[in-house]
Amino acid sequence: MCNACGNPAVLGHWTEAGAATPGDRLRARFHRAGLLDKVLRPYGLTAHDGGVVPGIQLSTLSGNQSILPDLSAVWAEAERLLGRPVDPLDPVFLNDD
Amino acid sequence: MTTDFADGRMRLTVLGGYLGSGKTTWLRHQLHVGSFGPVHVIVNEAAETGVDDVLLAAASGLTLLAGGCSCCTGRQDLIDALRRLCDQRSRLASNGQRLQRIVLETSGLADPGAIVAAVQGDPILVNHIVIEQTIVVVDALHGLAQLQTEPLGRRQIGAADLLILSKTDAVDPESLNLLRTTLRALCPSAPQSAAVLGAAQPLPNLATDAQAPTLPPLSDDDTRGAIFPTRLKIDDSIDWSAFALWLSALLHARGNDLVRVKGVLPTPAGRLLLQTVRKVVQSPEILPAQENQSEDGTIVFIGRGFRPDDLQKSLRRFAGRSETVK
Repeated sequence: MCNACGNPAVLGHWTEAGAATPGDRLRARFHRAGLLDKVLRPYGLTAHDGGVVPGIQLSTLSGNQSILPDLSAVWAEAERLLGRPVDPLDPVFLNDD
Repeated sequence: MTTDFADGRMRLTVLGGYLGSGKTTWLRHQLHVGSFGPVHVIVNEAAETGVDDVLLAAASGLTLLAGGCSCCTGRQDLIDALRRLCDQRSRLASNGQRLQRIVLETSGLADPGAIVAAVQGDPILVNHIVIEQTIVVVDALHGLAQLQTEPLGRRQIGAADLLILSKTDAVDPESLNLLRTTLRALCPSAPQSAAVLGAAQPLPNLATDAQAPTLPPLSDDDTRGAIFPTRLKIDDSIDWSAFALWLSALLHARGNDLVRVKGVLPTPAGRLLLQTVRKVVQSPEILPAQENQSEDGTIVFIGRGFRPDDLQKSLRRFAGRSETVK
């Protein structure tokens, strides 16, 4: 590792880099999985991360299931299943009500 | 500091390149290995939150010019900062050890040519500063796509005395050659070199007969709207992992419009430096704690095709703890 810039840096996906301890990591996984599930449900998808299977489980309502290593893979798979990406700037996420 | 140059003037290196091309990474490494010697660094950021200054602590002096690109809205700030440096230096005896070199790292939205013209056209600075060279960093991964769509990207290349291709480890040799022939067509006079995380890499010779792909003509008035910087304050109600969830979705859906995201996010592991270029997130880094952490939690978004307010709204709905998405 270069002591000036610290590269290569923390291992793992960038969305997990903020966790310092295994406890943080697990807590973040659970919290994230809950939010992810809430976001994906209106699209007819469910997400689950129970901390047992290494990865995020993404299912369609018809039971098609995939296990994905990180969030980037989740969004790519969701786009494949839906035919369009889940866009946080979609009006559905912008309404004030 | 080394002794004066024969003409008594300072040497200014302008370091330019598109958003996220790797300017700071390159400069950080050069400062670490000391290629410039003792040097004063001026960092310009288009957004009002500075991030790069934290990374360039190895410089012997550092000025941050935030909140305006120094080739247009922040031009006077740049001239003032350079005049102050000249002033301070003129107070020291010329036979002593005084500042000899300045490196100006431009914002990714700047046209280095305009900056060079502004510095050379200033009646005071011209007596104190010689522009030594304009170095332009080109992202080997995204460079060709930028040159095809962004007039600014082409202007930056045209202003270069030396081109440094960054991230060459992330592309295959064919695309690299395609980019290099394009660069040679845009700026035949500039030698090309390569660097990965700032460390120089060998580049094979380019075949002289290689044909450059034709770039589509571009006009300056872009129908997609201008690229602008905006800031998003992450308050305590947003958990860091929730923010990462939202940002990963945003990058996936809007990565091509979101040219650059950077900022420091407070996390349990420490101050996490987040930097993205289009859809690519740079390897995360935990920064050491420092005295002034007031800008932590403020993330800069540079891009087009969205309203600044929408980012905040969307983040709330997407990642807020209490609210639900219908």
